[in-house]
Amino acid sequence: MKLRKKPLSAGVLTLALAVTLAACGGGAHGGGAANGAYDKNATVNIGSLYEPQNLDNTAGGGQGVTEALNGNVYEGLFRLTDAGKVEKLLAQDYKVSGDGLTYTFTLRDGVTFHSGKKLTSQDVKYSLEKVLAKDSQSARKADLEVVKDIATPDAKTVRVTLSKKSVSFVYNLSYVWVINSQAKELKTTEDGTGPYKLNKWTRGSALSLDRFAGYWGDAAKNKQVVFHYYKDATALNNALLTNGVDVVTSEQSPDALDQFKSQRNYKVNDGNSTTKLLLAFNDKAKPFTDVKVRQAVSAAIDDKKLLDSVWGGYGKLIGSMVPPTDPWYEDLTKVNAYDVDKAKKLLAEAGYAKGFSFTLDTPNYDPHPTVATFIKSQLAKVGITVEINTITPDQWYTKVYKNHDFTATLQEHVNDRDLVWYGNPDFYWGYDDKQVQNWIEQAERASTTDEQTELLKKANRKTAEDAASDWLYLYPQIVVANSKLSGYPVNGLNSQFFAYNIEKR
Amino acid sequence: MKRRSPTLWTGAVLAGLVVLLALVSLVWLPYDPADTSGGRLAGPGDGHLLGTDKLGRDLFTQLMTGSRIALEAGLGSVLIAALIGVTLGVLAAYAQGWFDDTLSALLDILIAFPTLLLAMLIVAARSATLGSAILAIGLAQSAVVARLTRILVKRVLAQDYITAARTSGTSWPRITAGHVLPNIWPTLVVNLALQFGLAVLAEAGLSYLGLGAPPPNASWGRMLQEAQATFTTAPAGALAPGVLLVLLVIGVNLIADGLRDVLDPTTRRGRAAA
Repeated sequence: MKLRKKPLSAGVLTLALAVTLAACGGGAHGGGAANGAYDKNATVNIGSLYEPQNLDNTAGGGQGVTEALNGNVYEGLFRLTDAGKVEKLLAQDYKVSGDGLTYTFTLRDGVTFHSGKKLTSQDVKYSLEKVLAKDSQSARKADLEVVKDIATPDAKTVRVTLSKKSVSFVYNLSYVWVINSQAKELKTTEDGTGPYKLNKWTRGSALSLDRFAGYWGDAAKNKQVVFHYYKDATALNNALLTNGVDVVTSEQSPDALDQFKSQRNYKVNDGNSTTKLLLAFNDKAKPFTDVKVRQAVSAAIDDKKLLDSVWGGYGKLIGSMVPPTDPWYEDLTKVNAYDVDKAKKLLAEAGYAKGFSFTLDTPNYDPHPTVATFIKSQLAKVGITVEINTITPDQWYTKVYKNHDFTATLQEHVNDRDLVWYGNPDFYWGYDDKQVQNWIEQAERASTTDEQTELLKKANRKTAEDAASDWLYLYPQIVVANSKLSGYPVNGLNSQFFAYNIEKR
Repeated sequence: MKRRSPTLWTGAVLAGLVVLLALVSLVWLPYDPADTSGGRLAGPGDGHLLGTDKLGRDLFTQLMTGSRIALEAGLGSVLIAALIGVTLGVLAAYAQGWFDDTLSALLDILIAFPTLLLAMLIVAARSATLGSAILAIGLAQSAVVARLTRILVKRVLAQDYITAARTSGTSWPRITAGHVLPNIWPTLVVNLALQFGLAVLAEAGLSYLGLGAPPPNASWGRMLQEAQATFTTAPAGALAPGVLLVLLVIGVNLIADGLRDVLDPTTRRGRAAA
């Protein structure tokens, strides 16, 4: 997991299942109106709060590195479309053996790196090994550890052998950047195959990308992209108002949006994110060992009112860990829905008719303190007393994530397809259900994605019914842009922001 | 104290307003602090004097309970700073040679640390409660008080009448109580009043960073932080705690200035604000 506003230390990122969803593969889903001719030589100024720590996504570059470089500068064998489907990118074709253990990829012809070198199978091997290396901090490392052997029979062919079946393998490859095997200094420079090459990175202020003339595919629809980095949202919004930037990748507060909504020069796009806010119980700590208590707490909290309070009408309710863009999504908002009477009844059945009291470990940054305050006042109505204990992100990592020393906590989980954590009884929330673990394990060993989807739906329904956690709401993804712009990703899920289809008039 | 100081009176009135608010909040509040029925970011008026916050809680109610936290933070920190600071300062003043040097060096190091940073370290090591914040701010400030005390005491000890008292056989404790403390307290009180204002600001700063009194306690610092994102749509949420914070700190600073005018025999007229 990854924190949205204040990324945890690199250590967490290593452990994290930081799955970022490639948004908006084609221009068809891009935001903004498209009419009239656009300027092919335009410079697009993008405003963001997430400056990369470095430019290497296996060295803890943070979410900013994904936002700026994924798909723009670096490409993988595959990419993920807006609908969450995997699409071939640098892989021309691939075959899977009957036992599902051997994948043979054929590379696309005529792909060159920004340095001028031709793409070969050696580069793919190197890139995959880089993610799997001992010192790699890649969020994908754990998922790709099924890779047993990488062979390169010829310059165009890569053959990967897995130690066990992994239906998500191709999907996971969409997060592996293909890098020139001879490239050096990847923390400050790059050598990818994407439609842009790095022009200049001025630390603390901006990162500019120039259209790459030797790109194998359709050239980018603008000449230059500059990511401008801001420390706070107000300054960022002011930059948009004064034309300092053309688009803001991700707005974090609904209240700044009125100033844009009231003007025709701007477009506010309300897209889907994969970030879920969780009231995570420690399922191994009393009283949350009791399913009824967890169900009661879930039913006692009015999620709708909370979402409206924090996001003022944006965002969605979810009844489980699965966001609508995951293939195994089901609307489970009716499971353990808001019902104070039912909550009281469940509490009485569990032997807590008079309520109880527990400590809620609350990260000290938005929106957690507000949410904790809301939960405290809601649970007071069913007799439960909440002690709010505010902690820093570092403390959260040590106390909650590593030591499991908590009763309940609040946390944002930004990744897509992260239901799988409920199949790990050693994960911080300690949900331990043999059937769910089997389903999740079988799903990964499935032969088809349909089979995988079916199994994960079952697992998801069970965790929802068990109230393994209380999924409070799904964040909105809000992109605000100047109306001169079109073709930008509106579902820029998590952190990706493909810039090559942006047209500026 | 026959001289009247308009500064002192202005300060007393400003700070008095906040004290009054805090006292009233002990017996009466317009709404239950946990009452979220007000609607999201309602404007001033319509049953809510200053409007409501994101969760629909009454702002004026929070402001009133927040004044208690501000005063507690100020008083608590200054009390700790005075106790530890004066004791250490007097000890350091009497100390000779290496002990004096070591103590002063330690104090200098402590002072070189920004108060807020030191407080953040202490709060991070313990848990984020009002108590931790007060302790942290008090400790940081005690270094400042100790250094001032040490200098003041040393100056008094160099006087002839101390030598006279010593030669006549008066013990050090008696000299401290009878001669030293009465001579240094006016300056100390003025300094402590200034520290009070700084402590209030430091607590607001810690709460702003999410390291002060935990929610749902309405510290002004947290109120500012929560209202920051909604400043353009609901400015009252940020303005109200901001204005009160300024009133209290200015009030206390004016009191400090006024006290200096009144207590310090060497200055005739008021000086520029500190």
